[in-house]
Amino acid sequence: MAWNLLKPKKQKKKKKQTATKQSKQGQNPLSTNLSDNKNQLRSIYQDCSDFILRSFMISGKHQAILIYMDGLSNREEIDDNVLSPLMVKTQEDQSDLQIDKLIKNRVSISDVKEVKTIEDCIQLISSGNPVVLVNNSKTGFSVGLPQWEKRSIEAPEAEKAIRGPREGFVETLAVNISMLRRKIRSPKLKMQSMEIGRYTKTNVIITYIDGVVDKTLVEEVENRLKRIDIDGILDSGVIEEFIEDNPYSPFPQILETERPDTVTGNLLEGRIAILVDGSPSALIVPITFYSFLQANEDYYNRFLIATAIRWLRFILVIISLLLPSLYVALLTFHQEMIPTALLISMASSREQVPFPAIVEVLIMEITFEALREAGLRLPKQIGSAVSIVGALVIGESAVSAGIVSAPMVIVVAITGIASFTIPRYSAAIALRMLRFPLIFLGGMLGLLGIMLGIIMVIVHLSTLRSFGVPYLSPMAPMKYSEIKDTMMRAPWWKLNKRPHLTGEYNEYRQSSGQKPSPIRGKD
Amino acid sequence: MHLLRTNILLRTILICLLLLVLNGCWDRVEINDLAIVMGIGLDKTEEGDIELSVQIANPKAMAGSGSSGGQSSGNPIVVETVTGRTIFDARSKLQESLSRQLFEGHNRVIFISKALAEEGIQKHIDFFARFPSPRLRANIFIVDSKVIDILKVPSDFELNSSEVARELAKLKIGMNITTKDLLEQLANESSSIALPSITVEDKPVGTKGLRVNGSAIIKENKMVGEIDNALSRGVLWLRDEIKLSSVTLEPENTEGYISFKLLRSSTDLSPTIKNGKWKMVVNITTEDDVVENETNLDVLDPKITDKLEKQLEQKVTERIQKTLDYVQKEIGADVFGFGEAFYRKFPKQWNKEKDMWAEKFPELEVEINCKAYIRRPGRSNIPQGTQKEEGVKK
Repeated sequence: MAWNLLKPKKQKKKKKQTATKQSKQGQNPLSTNLSDNKNQLRSIYQDCSDFILRSFMISGKHQAILIYMDGLSNREEIDDNVLSPLMVKTQEDQSDLQIDKLIKNRVSISDVKEVKTIEDCIQLISSGNPVVLVNNSKTGFSVGLPQWEKRSIEAPEAEKAIRGPREGFVETLAVNISMLRRKIRSPKLKMQSMEIGRYTKTNVIITYIDGVVDKTLVEEVENRLKRIDIDGILDSGVIEEFIEDNPYSPFPQILETERPDTVTGNLLEGRIAILVDGSPSALIVPITFYSFLQANEDYYNRFLIATAIRWLRFILVIISLLLPSLYVALLTFHQEMIPTALLISMASSREQVPFPAIVEVLIMEITFEALREAGLRLPKQIGSAVSIVGALVIGESAVSAGIVSAPMVIVVAITGIASFTIPRYSAAIALRMLRFPLIFLGGMLGLLGIMLGIIMVIVHLSTLRSFGVPYLSPMAPMKYSEIKDTMMRAPWWKLNKRPHLTGEYNEYRQSSGQKPSPIRGKD
Repeated sequence: MHLLRTNILLRTILICLLLLVLNGCWDRVEINDLAIVMGIGLDKTEEGDIELSVQIANPKAMAGSGSSGGQSSGNPIVVETVTGRTIFDARSKLQESLSRQLFEGHNRVIFISKALAEEGIQKHIDFFARFPSPRLRANIFIVDSKVIDILKVPSDFELNSSEVARELAKLKIGMNITTKDLLEQLANESSSIALPSITVEDKPVGTKGLRVNGSAIIKENKMVGEIDNALSRGVLWLRDEIKLSSVTLEPENTEGYISFKLLRSSTDLSPTIKNGKWKMVVNITTEDDVVENETNLDVLDPKITDKLEKQLEQKVTERIQKTLDYVQKEIGADVFGFGEAFYRKFPKQWNKEKDMWAEKFPELEVEINCKAYIRRPGRSNIPQGTQKEEGVKK
């Protein structure tokens, strides 16, 4: 495959797939004849055992049908508040009244919409809104009674925190939206809805705070989302791949989070969140590399401690990327750089090892990655067994069997721990995978090779953009005023300005001079 | 357009990878293929060849905890000796009989035998300055016996005898000279240096150990004399390198001694030229602690400390004068850096008369101005073991 890529392509034959997108076909209006509509819907929902069609008479006069999908709507409510009031024969003769007014008067449901086409009908039914069609009427009515089983709100598994809210997004979009709305009560919180997926027709919502966000950015997000033409959206990860700036990079350019408080914080900084129905992780754009090193807890803990922890993370990021390759390079090329006593003890532990250092590192790193992956997929009960096996295999046995040396185990263990301290899994795994090419470079060219590798990584990182925002900003390009929230975490009363992402922005997030002091209370 | 760009990127990455395969790994050595040299000894054979001895760490014997199997067996060091016309010649011969590649990157000590030093050391030092593998920060010692004996001495605390020698130098009891210092001082205006001398001591009998044994004076590449530890201390005073020093006085009008420990000291060389007469003024400021007081003097009394300070100054001046008498007057080697000091202050006069320096130096007038301060009386102020009233004697 790689050789194909080597061949220069002289001509790019773009097979333009014309009309790939399902153009909206002509809308079929509802027929006045009820049985026509009935037959049409029946044929559409052929072989759908959960399709429920109930014929009844409104006030014993008008023929009507009620259609809904089993399990998507609240059946009790339908029975009590739709069917029974409509079927009741009242004393006073209201037959003269228009049928639509009659229905609106009788049905005690707040959300009643008119339906005019078969397509609307189908969409509403699929999303759990029962539809009532009446004979001799061109308009039907949908009743907003969707209800289905959903997971209860739990603490997010992937982003744990000691301090801060313990709620995480669930798979139901409506619940996720309500969580956000509960946090940001201002009507300035906007939510644009969109439907993606030929079959899944997944509801996707672009949310932002009007007046804080750059409008052109919203347009860009909208445009990128609109371009997606796919049969189905399974998770927000699918959308992520379609709207990234650089799809070939190992580094994620979109932040995904399960925490409503993280989304809120980012919205307040002028970013945009994309919520996808059926996925507990929201996407946040645009972001920078440093976003992956900021845990939400940084903003809740004392700023001095949060800053210290951030620095710890920076060091650990470097360790997780470089330690094994540095070990190999020093051990095979630059022995003079290791302190004498350490060199001798390393040499003595390596006496029995049959492999060169680079092979040793690769064996251990691959074993470690395998254990990590195994522990991730296995059910919780077996997970502990894996860790026991892993500790024994990596730790004791491998050393005593003379396959690897003891210092190597320490290096791999430290590297593993270091990579787990990166708050975002997607960034941590990118760094973990980049470790392997660096090990090869270090094993072949020594420190020179590692330097080459670092330069390549940094060049790559600086070419990346996330929705137009340079990936390494505010470091490259340098924005001094924004360092206060990347290299350190300034106290909240100092974080007066929002970071500048793109275009026009709302600069101040709070008034200045709010540093608490005893004197302040006196006036 | 975008696709083309990634295509180029992929091609570059592939070419880079191919490059790695082509020339990578050429100087790759695993550490278990290295013979880690811990100390190098240079000696002279009777035929006039170089005898190179190396002390090599034996990691197998040092395998303590960790990897199993290798039960601490054998000597933790291996000493090999080989002769050759030059050092590298000898090294190459040595390599022929070693299964591991000689690696001097961790060599921290070079022992040079007295016999070789008397003949001239510059030509042998060249190897350590030119060959990239040995460290420039390796300590240099002069040995008065066979060098190989030093390398074979088993050590009590350190990994090997080379490490013992290095730690001894670090303590600054005697001189502490590295290859770099040696090269610098031989190249500068004074072109003399005092190198630490080390010897094998068999005291108590049966347990061999190393001992710093004064210094060897090198003048213009050749060893011209030896001084003992006390005189070496004088060199350290004059070179402003003194770190550890103890002075014991016998004060007047009382019985017993008082010992002082050096706290800190600074030496300032200020050369003067008056009416064509060269003179070196040495200003020494030393601060000391009282560490032992056998007398019944109250060392907190300013009057007493004033007197003691005077005595202390006298004592230090005496010591330095002794060193000067021998090294300056008799040997005539400028190991103190006086020439360098003159050159810095009077570069024009120096350039005119530098050829005369060898004759001028032994006759140079040296004035020693010592100022001593007794800073702290130690943990107890009055003489211990006596009653308070008795102890205070004015």
